[in-house]
Amino acid sequence: MTTYIFRRLLTVIPTLLGVLLAVFLMVRLAPGDPAQLLAGEFATPEALAEIRKRFGLDQPWHVQLGLYLVNVARGDLGESVRTRKPVSYELATYFPNTLRLTLGAMLVALLVGIPAGIVAALRPGTVFDLLAMLGALIGVSMPVFWFGLMAILIFAVGLGWFPVAGTGSLWHLVLPAITLSTGTTAILARMTRSAMLEVLSQDYIRTARAKGLPGRVVVFKHALRNALIPVVTVAGLQFGTLLEGAVITETVFAWPGIGQLLVGSILARDYPVVQGAVLLIAVAFILINLVVDLLYGAIDPRIRYE
Amino acid sequence: MSEPNSSQQTAPRWRRRLFRNPLAIAGFTFIGIFVLVAAFAPFIAPYSPVEQNLRGTYVPPMRIELRGPEGQLGLWVREVSRTPLGQLEVGKELYPLRFFVRGEPWSWWGGLLKSDLHLFGVDGPIKFYLLGADEQGRDILSRLCYGAWISLSIGLIAVAIGLAVGVPVGLLSGYYGGTFDLLAQRVVEVMLSFPGILLAIVLVATLGTGLTNVMIAVGIAAIPVYARLVRGSVLSLREREFVEAGRALGSPDARILLRHILPNALSPIIVQSSLQMAVAILFAAGLGFLGLGARPPEPEWGLMLARGREYLATAPHVATFPGLAIMFVALGFNLLGDALRDALDPRRG
Repeated sequence: MTTYIFRRLLTVIPTLLGVLLAVFLMVRLAPGDPAQLLAGEFATPEALAEIRKRFGLDQPWHVQLGLYLVNVARGDLGESVRTRKPVSYELATYFPNTLRLTLGAMLVALLVGIPAGIVAALRPGTVFDLLAMLGALIGVSMPVFWFGLMAILIFAVGLGWFPVAGTGSLWHLVLPAITLSTGTTAILARMTRSAMLEVLSQDYIRTARAKGLPGRVVVFKHALRNALIPVVTVAGLQFGTLLEGAVITETVFAWPGIGQLLVGSILARDYPVVQGAVLLIAVAFILINLVVDLLYGAIDPRIRYE
Repeated sequence: MSEPNSSQQTAPRWRRRLFRNPLAIAGFTFIGIFVLVAAFAPFIAPYSPVEQNLRGTYVPPMRIELRGPEGQLGLWVREVSRTPLGQLEVGKELYPLRFFVRGEPWSWWGGLLKSDLHLFGVDGPIKFYLLGADEQGRDILSRLCYGAWISLSIGLIAVAIGLAVGVPVGLLSGYYGGTFDLLAQRVVEVMLSFPGILLAIVLVATLGTGLTNVMIAVGIAAIPVYARLVRGSVLSLREREFVEAGRALGSPDARILLRHILPNALSPIIVQSSLQMAVAILFAAGLGFLGLGARPPEPEWGLMLARGREYLATAPHVATFPGLAIMFVALGFNLLGDALRDALDPRRG
């Protein structure tokens, strides 16, 4: 197990370096003077000179890259052009909101997707199965932002059950979390259904039924437990997808998370924050995948000996 | 897995399986309507997508009446307009709605198609907004029709970019392995570290906004998907006997790759391309919605939706219809992709 963890950790390093390089190149490849992009449109010549010196923009590329890596390692991601605060401070302010939204969405997806998948698998070919799977397909096809707007229109504007936008109470979280969860709910439902169908056709399920065990026990104890292994993995990997979906959902609900920060910063050409937000999401995504892989190795020993 | 030379024999079977699947038929229908609307947008659209009308701001979808002024059967409409104070005013006069009418002249397909014929229009001095009008009094139906063309182009070009780069990289990566594979896979991994639409957002942030850059960004975002997929297929195919036979006969690598391996890896590529069309259209609309895609006054669906957000409570139709359009088109490609997977998967045969 230790070698497995160690080897898996090693594979992350080149990816992380690649992501850092990509984020580094973002500003250098964008049209315009990188110093201007990092200092903001209305920067004074002195400020420009300072930025040039700080990020080594007058030096060759490899020196710039080295300097960038050193700065990131120190936690120095630069300063926001708009607020003049450190990027790391901005990220720390916004990220917890995104985390809360993502966790809420995952909870919804697990509570809706898995039961829907189980019921569909228990009654394959019935109207319920068809409806659940069609619903799942619509869930994948629906633009998140449109679903969010319709949810606002019906439940916030129309019925007045939930606030239209913003954060604060738990009520503020309901609509954004449901909106963000649609894609993941759909994927989990389909995944659970196919995993359950496969497990239900196994010999040990027939044995369990032949023993005269009640259907409930067979389904929940024998079938579901085994079917859930791949589902749990997919759910873990979906966390990354939720982070990405949060970018759009946060914009719809004016949710002050990392996604809204990112989009606002791109529109305002606040490149230091753009770099920081992109880096944070990508690194979070890589780390989540790493943890899921390691957990998967722990749950299913077959994985380790490939 | 089908044998390399049996594709002719199995073709009718998978086609039969595909056309017997009601979900596939539904997918084809949605895609068919979408493509027809995109191809003949100016004919189906009653008005120009950018023509403004100050008396028509946020006019809701109009009602069609079946009885005329003297009780005669037909399709009749009344004028609905805004007074200078912003109130909605419904006219008394009824005007007939006719099909195949002459109207504003248009030119399409780069000037190849020119006419002033429209699918329908009002016989009278008023404007008819079937799906309502937006904040500048532009006809939403007309904008949706022209927007279909934009979405279709983005989808096709993005998928083409993904195929053109991803498939060769996947083929070479899987077939040769070694340093190229190692490098290519690291690049693919880095690209996949920016989940979903984030990669497209990063690219747009670098390249700048606008439709062309959206196409490029969404296309690049599709590359790692194809590279991974094709590499996986090639890895399992290159150990098969028919590939070994080709090698033993002294066929050059290019021939083995293109004549033996690629045709056998086609099924997943075709399935993925249908699903990828849905992804590309959703991504492009998402970028448009965020303000990182098409620029006004372009009738791009995501952008239209974003404009409708501000007056969601008073004019919900502005955001509703573009969203429905995006959903049905994405659903069409997802349904088709799923059905193709079922039909092409020999294990289900």
